[in-house]
Amino acid sequence: MPDTAILSHSAARDPGGRPDRGAGSRLARRGWRGRGREQLLTVLLPLLTAALFLCCWQAAAKLWAIPPVLLPAPSDVARQLAASWGELLFQAGFTGAEAVTACVLSGVLGALVAVTLAASPLLRDMLYPNLVAFQLIPKIALAPLFVIWLGIDAPSRLVFSTFISFFPVAISTLTGLLGTSRDAIRLCQSLTASPSQIFRHVQVPYALPFFFSGMKVAATLSVIGIIVGEFISSKHGLGSYILLAGSRAETARIFAALVVLCAIGLALYGVIAWLEFRVRKAWRG
Amino acid sequence: MRRGEFVAILGPSGCGKSTLLMMCGGLETITSGTINIDGAPMTGPRTSIGVMFQESTLLPWKTVLDNIMFPVELLHRPRKEHLARARELIGLVGLGGFENHKPHQLSGGMRQRAAICRALVYDPDILLMDEPFSALDAITRDEMNDALQDIWTRYTKTALFVTHSIREAVYLADRVLVMNRRPATVVADVTIPLARPRNPAIGETKLFNELCGQLRGMIEHSHRAVRTTPQVQEVSAGA
Repeated sequence: MPDTAILSHSAARDPGGRPDRGAGSRLARRGWRGRGREQLLTVLLPLLTAALFLCCWQAAAKLWAIPPVLLPAPSDVARQLAASWGELLFQAGFTGAEAVTACVLSGVLGALVAVTLAASPLLRDMLYPNLVAFQLIPKIALAPLFVIWLGIDAPSRLVFSTFISFFPVAISTLTGLLGTSRDAIRLCQSLTASPSQIFRHVQVPYALPFFFSGMKVAATLSVIGIIVGEFISSKHGLGSYILLAGSRAETARIFAALVVLCAIGLALYGVIAWLEFRVRKAWRG
Repeated sequence: MRRGEFVAILGPSGCGKSTLLMMCGGLETITSGTINIDGAPMTGPRTSIGVMFQESTLLPWKTVLDNIMFPVELLHRPRKEHLARARELIGLVGLGGFENHKPHQLSGGMRQRAAICRALVYDPDILLMDEPFSALDAITRDEMNDALQDIWTRYTKTALFVTHSIREAVYLADRVLVMNRRPATVVADVTIPLARPRNPAIGETKLFNELCGQLRGMIEHSHRAVRTTPQVQEVSAGA
């Protein structure tokens, strides 16, 4: 999972990093003035780009009369979305609930693994290199194993999804726990603080931004895990809905389900990004 | 060391002066000899000692006041009376108005001011300082030396101050111990007979500069000096 590595690396260099102002300063150079206007544009610009893309897609699909079974126009997708709204929401309930559960589980498991490895140098030496090596396996390929071990019901999907999404949380959090300033630990030692006090007062606050960086990756991965699980085994959920629509060549239905999936992913990511923002704010004031 | 005395350890980098200081703070294992405080041997960190490091090591997620109160929180001391003391110290070092700022909003000098307050808030008897101002620019450093002298005069702490700046050592200390590397030994113990309170103008006086010259000579020639091995450091301060 190379994205995890990059993520924890950048987090390590700037643990309390502020939001990127790159886009803002670029706009400022172009001559727009005012903070509010700048912020409005950083929101508007990607939205306008997306709208432009959809317009091009719509025009291309209609002008060149592309068969809807190959590529339905956005308007077809919207119509389909409206028509099967109830069914889509019903299926999204399964997928969403399982993805959220898997995400929470991977947060808990990842934090536990990180704390354990941070607390015991012996366990760390034994497990950490293996953990990193294990990261390199494309874990999606292991999905059939979980069906063999745990069957085709929700627990199987949850375990599989948690399994693929807890790694980034564990590794990122561990980086934070171990990256705590040596001087800060020495300061606590000079104050006769116990290891558990040092952990609580210094290491945990220091690792929190790292934990949330890992959770952002976990949010994406947990949805992937559930969908893959649903592809393989489920009778419910957006994964099986997409598979069914695919077998009937109902392309617009697939796209409609993708829109809903995208919304689930965004919501999950949004909640975590918001929590991370709160933590960083508490850090930086 | 006598109670209430300000002793500076002066020496080139790598001579083990920081290690000696950390041994006094119980943060390094003592390899040979003993360190006695009030006649009892030093075995580990103790709360009668306050430590200042080269970096301020303020916790970035806490405000200045919360950072200063951090030892009180760790040691489970009563918050209310220490809060008054913290505010008094903040006023004394000139950090008034910055209590609710985060460390990243402060300059390097202000961060070290906060670190002084943090080291003193729980009223330790002994203050250990490991090159606390060496990362600061020369002007800020002079200001910090004055601030430290004020505080030390007011609270009369036994202070052990590690530095590689000759002028800083002479300006602050009652006694300067000159250290040499390989083997790490104290080669001289120079008493600084300058009257207190000292102010920056003292740096221009003949006596001050003679003392600096004398110390500089000792450092330059210390590799030829007779090696004495004062392994026992007697630190006495009332508990």
